[in-house]
Amino acid sequence: MRTLALWGQRLRRDWVQLLLWTVGTAALAYAAYIGVDQSYGNEQDRVALLATVMANPVILLFRGLPSGAGDGAFITFLIFPWLAILASFMSSFLAVRHTRTEEETGRMELVSATPASRWRPAAATILHGTAANLVLAVLTALAFLAVGLPADGAWLVGIAAGAVGLVFLGVGLVAAQLMRTSRGANSVSVAVLITTFLLAGIGNAAGTPSDDLQSMQSSWLTWLSPFGWGENTRAFDQNDWPPVALCAGAAVLLVAAALVLQAVRDVGASLVPERHGRTDAGPLLSSTTGLVWRLTYPSIIGWAIAGILAGLLATSLSSVVEQMGGDNPAVAKVLESISGEGDLAQGVLVTFFVMLGIFASCAAVQTVARARQEEAHGTAEIVLAQPVPRVRWLADFVVVGFVAVLVVVASGIAGAAIGTAAAGAEASLVRDAVVSGAGQVLAASVFLVLTALVFVLVPRATIPAGWSLVMLAAIIGLFGPLFQFPDAVTDASPFSVAPIPIGDSVDWRGVWWLILAIALGAAGSLALMRRRELATGG
Amino acid sequence: MTGTTSVIRTAGLVKRYGSINALDGLDLEVGAGQIHGFLGPNGAGKSTTLRVLLGLARATSGEASVFGLHPWRDSVAIHRRVSYIPGDVSVWPNLGGGETIDLLSRLRGRRRDAAYRAEKKRLMEAFQFDPRKKGRAYSKGNRQKVALIAAFAVPADLYIFDEPTSGLDPLMEVMFRREVARVRADGATVLLSSHILSEVEQLCDRVSIIRLGKIIESGTLADLRHLTRTEVSFAVDGSGAASVSRVPGADDVAVDNGRVSFTIASDQVRGALPVLADLGVEGLRIVPPSLEELFLRHYGDDLRELENAEAGERAGSAR
Repeated sequence: MRTLALWGQRLRRDWVQLLLWTVGTAALAYAAYIGVDQSYGNEQDRVALLATVMANPVILLFRGLPSGAGDGAFITFLIFPWLAILASFMSSFLAVRHTRTEEETGRMELVSATPASRWRPAAATILHGTAANLVLAVLTALAFLAVGLPADGAWLVGIAAGAVGLVFLGVGLVAAQLMRTSRGANSVSVAVLITTFLLAGIGNAAGTPSDDLQSMQSSWLTWLSPFGWGENTRAFDQNDWPPVALCAGAAVLLVAAALVLQAVRDVGASLVPERHGRTDAGPLLSSTTGLVWRLTYPSIIGWAIAGILAGLLATSLSSVVEQMGGDNPAVAKVLESISGEGDLAQGVLVTFFVMLGIFASCAAVQTVARARQEEAHGTAEIVLAQPVPRVRWLADFVVVGFVAVLVVVASGIAGAAIGTAAAGAEASLVRDAVVSGAGQVLAASVFLVLTALVFVLVPRATIPAGWSLVMLAAIIGLFGPLFQFPDAVTDASPFSVAPIPIGDSVDWRGVWWLILAIALGAAGSLALMRRRELATGG
Repeated sequence: MTGTTSVIRTAGLVKRYGSINALDGLDLEVGAGQIHGFLGPNGAGKSTTLRVLLGLARATSGEASVFGLHPWRDSVAIHRRVSYIPGDVSVWPNLGGGETIDLLSRLRGRRRDAAYRAEKKRLMEAFQFDPRKKGRAYSKGNRQKVALIAAFAVPADLYIFDEPTSGLDPLMEVMFRREVARVRADGATVLLSSHILSEVEQLCDRVSIIRLGKIIESGTLADLRHLTRTEVSFAVDGSGAASVSRVPGADDVAVDNGRVSFTIASDQVRGALPVLADLGVEGLRIVPPSLEELFLRHYGDDLRELENAEAGERAGSAR
């Protein structure tokens, strides 16, 4: 009964969030079917695409396991890993949220001191996570049933996704036992998640294609990953259930391990002791610039990794698209509308570099938003009480933000160069990458100075305004050309007016507007900072 | 005022937040070499004053100067000579305590030499501080120690403390007082804001009391004691309460638990002593006024209001 009461408390806290995760996953499944139905409605297109994929295994890193050109099997190939990854994120965050976060904040102590004993919160969390994955599985299956796919395959896809989610419920629970902070536990779970996701992809890419190039036999690497197990159910094709049992077995083992670990430690303690800080500061921590870098570099590295991937895909996919576009006029048309008059490979690259520009903007916004966090948290006060000029303090965040933009874009260009070399594409693509990258540096810098300006004028709005501006511009930049938004709207997005390569020359587009906006924003925010007081409080 | 030069000086200082006057014509003067207590309850404007003096907030009107410099315009020049400890110290969750101390010291221009390291080590031992933990693992008291060690590790001309001992245990409070005495011996000036009277009484030679954004009383502790009354009591032994009437200036006469008690203006105590000797009183007790009483006199209204409100609440809940 007490376990049920604790479960009820978890449900009350989480139901909106879980509704979004589960309905969102089902909606993704539904949308994917509609999209495929439109783009690859006939079997010949699907056969051609699968054959292309087999020749370019990079794609398999981000898709599932090809299991034939039937519409159900094809859609599963495209979307299953993403359904499973949503279930996994939902589950591991849920596990950590109700265990380590509770312990870290001291709420667990409150509950454990009641007759509800130490293991009950864990039991309630397991129940809660299992129920969430069950709902996700059912809703996903219903989405596939709703579009008229066979019932056995539909249930298998849904349940396989939920089963992968269960494994990560276990991963999250174990990570929460190991690490002292919820941040640490979430980092461990996400690292495991990304590693196993890529493991499945690499294993598939290294697999053996069938003779008709319509399906792939995973290599052993794939079998080390829960995502690989889920994919090897081959829903709508062979409908294999045993890999689901593999997931369930792993989930049970992980949960049991978490319970055993919990039994041998104190409330609030962790099995991996928290790393000690340094007794003496290194030479980096001698200036506020060094401090800002020290506070923000982990997230900058994260965005840089995303940048490398975007660059890698930009050039390695552009060669694939060239082949594919020839076969599929619908795809070709979409790509052309994005790339303008340029050739197709260039167009794909430009599109991916808009993505890169978005990542760079995110890195910039996150860096400047840090200034606001410092202010609200109170650490800005002790820095500004030292002989540090106000303007210099803000300028440090802007400068490090600009470095972040350069690092992310440079990673993207490096990724593009590697992709070009790997795919044996034309070397001119690297030049295109440099041109597009330089353009996106300008676009991202606009968000950098805008966020700084908001920080000076309306401190409280810094974080929401910074992210909203990037998101809005990203939507316009990515989908504006596709949906043919009016020019006035499209041109409002820095991403869509940044200079791009066109043929062998450069289309400068709104380069002067961008430079003007950056100059005004930077000068304005720093000048106004002279008169700005410390604005503490949330 | 005293003849010393003033380190801090404000005149008619006003700081407005929206329609609220956090500071409402504040006149504060702190002379060089003083340990100046800045006393007032929460919300009276202590922290706002300190922030204006440090150029973290800008005065709406009025004048303020620190070392004769303008707090807002010349904040960097002022900060080179000032050590400040905020009331609620925040540290970076992912930086070690030792790292944070080094960072703050370096921002104030302290080089990483052997002398600094020795001083840091001495202070960390004095305050029993473990520098290896990450910021997020420190309690309030330990965060306070980070700021205290960083402040004392670099010599300054002016130390500004905002409720410095609110998270420290009594033993650490003693260490704090010892360090304050040390920097004072070196000629530094200290401004110490507090709502803890005993702390101010033990440390400070001058006190300014702030209420609703105004200084309502300022002077040496001796000056302020003149404003209050000393309590005198003795055992009832033959000489009854009636004899007290012979004591000049005696008031509030009462007999309780076999003792006669009365109050007398603090500057009249000396005149009362011969009379008391003549009376041959036994078990004589003379209690000098505490800052507590001084404080209650200025905040008595608030206290009564609070008590009335609580009484009202109790009556309300009883119904």
